[in-house]
Amino acid sequence: MSAAAPNRLEARGLVADYGAAPVLRGLDAAIPAGAIAAVLGENGSGKSTLLKVFARVVAIGGGDVRLDGERLDALPRRQTAQRIAYVPQSVDLVFPIRTLDLVLQGRAPYARGFVAETADDRLRALEAMRACDVEALAQRDAASLSGGERRRVFLARALAQEAQVWLLDEPTSGLDPRHRLEFLETLWRIHGERGTTVVLVTHEVALAGDLATRVLLLKDGRTIAQGDRASVLTAENLERTFGAPFSGRGSRFALRSAVLPMGSLEP
Amino acid sequence: MRTGAIAVGVLLLVAACTVAFLVGGVHLSIADLVAGRGEEGQTARLLASLRAPRIGLAALVGGCLALAGAALQALLKNPLADPFLLGTSGGAAVGAAGAALLGLSPLLSPAAAFVGAAAASLGVALLARRGGRLDLQRLLLAGLIANAFFSALLLAAFSIASGEAARSMLFWMMGSLADATPRKVAALFPYALAGAAVLVAAAARLNLFSVGEENAAALGVDTERTKRIVFLASSLLTGVAVAFAGVIGFVGLLVPHAVRAAFGNDQRTLLPASFLVGATLVVAADAVARAAIAPVELPIGALTAALGAPVFAWLLLRTP
Repeated sequence: MSAAAPNRLEARGLVADYGAAPVLRGLDAAIPAGAIAAVLGENGSGKSTLLKVFARVVAIGGGDVRLDGERLDALPRRQTAQRIAYVPQSVDLVFPIRTLDLVLQGRAPYARGFVAETADDRLRALEAMRACDVEALAQRDAASLSGGERRRVFLARALAQEAQVWLLDEPTSGLDPRHRLEFLETLWRIHGERGTTVVLVTHEVALAGDLATRVLLLKDGRTIAQGDRASVLTAENLERTFGAPFSGRGSRFALRSAVLPMGSLEP
Repeated sequence: MRTGAIAVGVLLLVAACTVAFLVGGVHLSIADLVAGRGEEGQTARLLASLRAPRIGLAALVGGCLALAGAALQALLKNPLADPFLLGTSGGAAVGAAGAALLGLSPLLSPAAAFVGAAAASLGVALLARRGGRLDLQRLLLAGLIANAFFSALLLAAFSIASGEAARSMLFWMMGSLADATPRKVAALFPYALAGAAVLVAAAARLNLFSVGEENAAALGVDTERTKRIVFLASSLLTGVAVAFAGVIGFVGLLVPHAVRAAFGNDQRTLLPASFLVGATLVVAADAVARAAIAPVELPIGALTAALGAPVFAWLLLRTP
């Protein structure tokens, strides 16, 4: 990437709220194209809100957010949805929906009004499901899927959406070790194949250490450090972010920055 | 859209209309209607001229209420949403009754009912908001409160009104199709068509809403705009249905569930099919209301409530 190319996603002085108290209070973030960026921070630090602002689920209350140098709030919504896919932490399904139809929703930003999905849309959806190893679930009711299956189905949907940016909210929370590994392997492979920019919010410092090329540390709605993981994931920064001691300091249960056995994922 | 579902809906509606046309306090003979001479023929034609507009009105009112319910359920991602339970029908009745009490022309009754319905929707939505989103429990509670309030207003209006006005208050409270005329059917039709067209056009977006509002927003939907459109269109459908037939509850709750169970939750099928099945339900219920203990007519609102309340209870038990 040339030095002149704008960041894929960039926020300056971003302010956002959910009606009442501000959650983001002048946040800065820069995520270059092709990065895997991990956003870390305490509960309530604004991680998920930042993701939702990028996904245009939460409105920008102030400051400037840009996608490839263009103002995000000036872009047509459908166009943003063609470029940015959001994978929520969990979705509570009230009505029955076939898994394939859920994945086909990823084609909605390309659909024309009332028209049903085209054969091409179905093909892309099924292809995405194959890539995420959930093709066999296509005809099942999505409500009956396990947590791990559902994560991969939503990943397939993001893939069917053909977006250059994926926003993942706590993608591994609640997954057992095997499903976690499978999910991350899938994510890693697709990222490698397509060069998708990934922004993921997580509580797992170790995951950021293993997977991310870039790390953002959030506290009280502001960024306290961002950059490549080696320079950001220092004990001092992490202690500042979480207010908890890191290995070798104070507690036998202290956090460690990056040591889970995920060798195959190491870039 | 699944054409099979639409075909089933059309067949059901045609069957219900045929039966409703023939039954009632007096059985109508097609032979007399077509070829009847003298008194028999006259009676048959008179019956037909009374029943046909009533069936037409029943079909339009049922379609409007069911479609409004289906759209609200998807928009709010809530299987218990219904224009009656959310107080929209009550607001419409108060609007229409208020206009009648003020001596406004009956021509303004649909507009007044629409204003009442929209105000009720807005009020209930504001009451149910918590942290920027609509809370399911609060929504139902707010609907309950709104209904209690509107009932009180209608009862108060009923007690001050006299003669014809009092009768019309009762009409709005209990729901009735007895005053159907071809003119009323013709007057309701354009409103029903407009509201239905707007909602069916929003079907693809409502599919995304039925997974969640955030889901819709992340997939490129202008959610605030869609919410306004769907609230207004469903208020219009509810308002005009109430203006022409009074409060007929539970149609918007029952019908989408039945259609969803049979044909799935794709709104592009669900919305038009709900209109057809809603029309069928109210036509059939009205036929039962006329024929069950003829010559006395049962109030149709009581009939749909008797059917709807147990289903609501069942749904409530199943809702997590």
